[in-house]
Amino acid sequence: MDTRAVIRAKLAEFDLDVSEEDLDELVPAYENLLRQQKMVEAMLESKPLTEGMEMPLSEPILVHNIARYR
Amino acid sequence: MAMNPKELAHAEIAEIAPLIKSKEISPVELVDLSLSRIAELDSTINAFIHVFEDEARATARAQEQEIASGAYRGPLHGIPIGIKDIYENGPTTCGSKTLDGYVAEEDCFSVKKLKEAGAIVAGKTGTYEFAYGPPTLETHFPPTRNGWNTQFECGGSSSGTAGAIAAGLTYAGMGSCTGGSIRWPAQCCGHVGLKHTYGRVSRRGVYPLSQSLDHVGPLARTVQDAAYMLQGCAGFDPLDPGSADVAVPDFSAKIGRDIKGMRFGVMRNLYEDSASPAVIRAFDAALQQIEQLGGQTIDVPCISLEQLLAFAFPLMWADAGAIHVRNLRTRAMDYGRHTKLYLLWGLCMSNAAYQDGLRVRAQVRDQLLDHLTNKVDVLILPTVGFQTPRVLEQTPGLEFLHGEAFPFYTPIFNHTGLPAIQVPCGFDDDHMPIGLQIAGKPFDEQTIIQAAYAYEQEAGWYKQRPDI
Repeated sequence: MDTRAVIRAKLAEFDLDVSEEDLDELVPAYENLLRQQKMVEAMLESKPLTEGMEMPLSEPILVHNIARYR
Repeated sequence: MAMNPKELAHAEIAEIAPLIKSKEISPVELVDLSLSRIAELDSTINAFIHVFEDEARATARAQEQEIASGAYRGPLHGIPIGIKDIYENGPTTCGSKTLDGYVAEEDCFSVKKLKEAGAIVAGKTGTYEFAYGPPTLETHFPPTRNGWNTQFECGGSSSGTAGAIAAGLTYAGMGSCTGGSIRWPAQCCGHVGLKHTYGRVSRRGVYPLSQSLDHVGPLARTVQDAAYMLQGCAGFDPLDPGSADVAVPDFSAKIGRDIKGMRFGVMRNLYEDSASPAVIRAFDAALQQIEQLGGQTIDVPCISLEQLLAFAFPLMWADAGAIHVRNLRTRAMDYGRHTKLYLLWGLCMSNAAYQDGLRVRAQVRDQLLDHLTNKVDVLILPTVGFQTPRVLEQTPGLEFLHGEAFPFYTPIFNHTGLPAIQVPCGFDDDHMPIGLQIAGKPFDEQTIIQAAYAYEQEAGWYKQRPDI
């Protein structure tokens, strides 16, 4: 599936249409997003598991860290 | 102290507050000055979307009586400020056609607190649509122009708040920051921008962009003034799930203390390959001045800009996409084109990639907290790596998403929740301001304020004012 079709399909999941003109701009941006995702994966893999696990965490975790680091 | 009207319009809160307290200046005089300058200059500057002329005058008259009776509330009493137009406070558009005509039923939490502290809201200030994105011409409201030179932008997204202060229309104001929208416009206008620790100020009643990244906070002319503003709006709010139930200290308590022996962790890996020569020159000179004051500068390991941008904006726009998706189905044409495209881009992020992004940012947060616990007292780096942009003549594409054109170093402290303050550190060849940011431990705004104040006073850049 080409990138235009992928973007169309992803946005269709949200019942959103996208014009050809918008796709012209979104294609390079989406390809950049894929490159960025690979970089994030590499950052995760660069940390040995023995250094500790990382959980998907949002804002409340900062409170835990206050206790941990103060 | 005798000041002419222009000097008074560009004065610091710290200079004016004692005069209000001693009744040498009345809030009525200050509001009249602000409103007359808005009437004279804002058709060029475009800082305000709504001006609260009648309400500001009525409040000022009431406060004049109150102060005359001896009931002085503190340094914000009688001070005209601007409020970014994403805060619920009267008419609220978020800079978007989609909210044309919307009027908030009540003031949001932080505006209520600022009013209780005596601040007078002169009006609602301009913002990039829904508080995000880079400069674009495809907006419902014209871009705010910079009082240092009206051919230049004010940065964003809190453009209007910054532009109003730079043009001497208000003395301080509130912005919001999801990836740098307080510190960047503060830098562009030569101001101080203070992004507090995540949870320090309630976001209730402020239109969200990303609940895990949003902060609301002040822009002001000096570190002291920013500390006054933070004092006026900080506090726990049980109705903001991200609000932190922690004591609110005196944010000015360490102002004036020296920084001898304070360890500044330089985050060189994040900026050195992307910052412009002018930014590097100004920042290196600032490090030298910090060392002359007795501070120690120590390089600390950190991620690169490319690594930061790999998760910082994708996570932000994924969150924003989720917030706006229902509106996009029915009112996509009412969004600016770029706003719409960024939202669509955010919705293209897969859940697996989103989860990876959250995990990486937890790693980054732990690394910075480790530095701040074991190696240094504060972190320091330029605010952004590029110089203040000129007002656009052509609409750009989505280069912002690629990162190269806009090396932002600010989002790292949104994703880690750490407090960070922007301070001016020089001017470029166009005499537009350059800035640096100092970050610290969670809920230790006092130390970054101490460090920023010491540098600010030594460097003296804050004494320069736009000639407008």
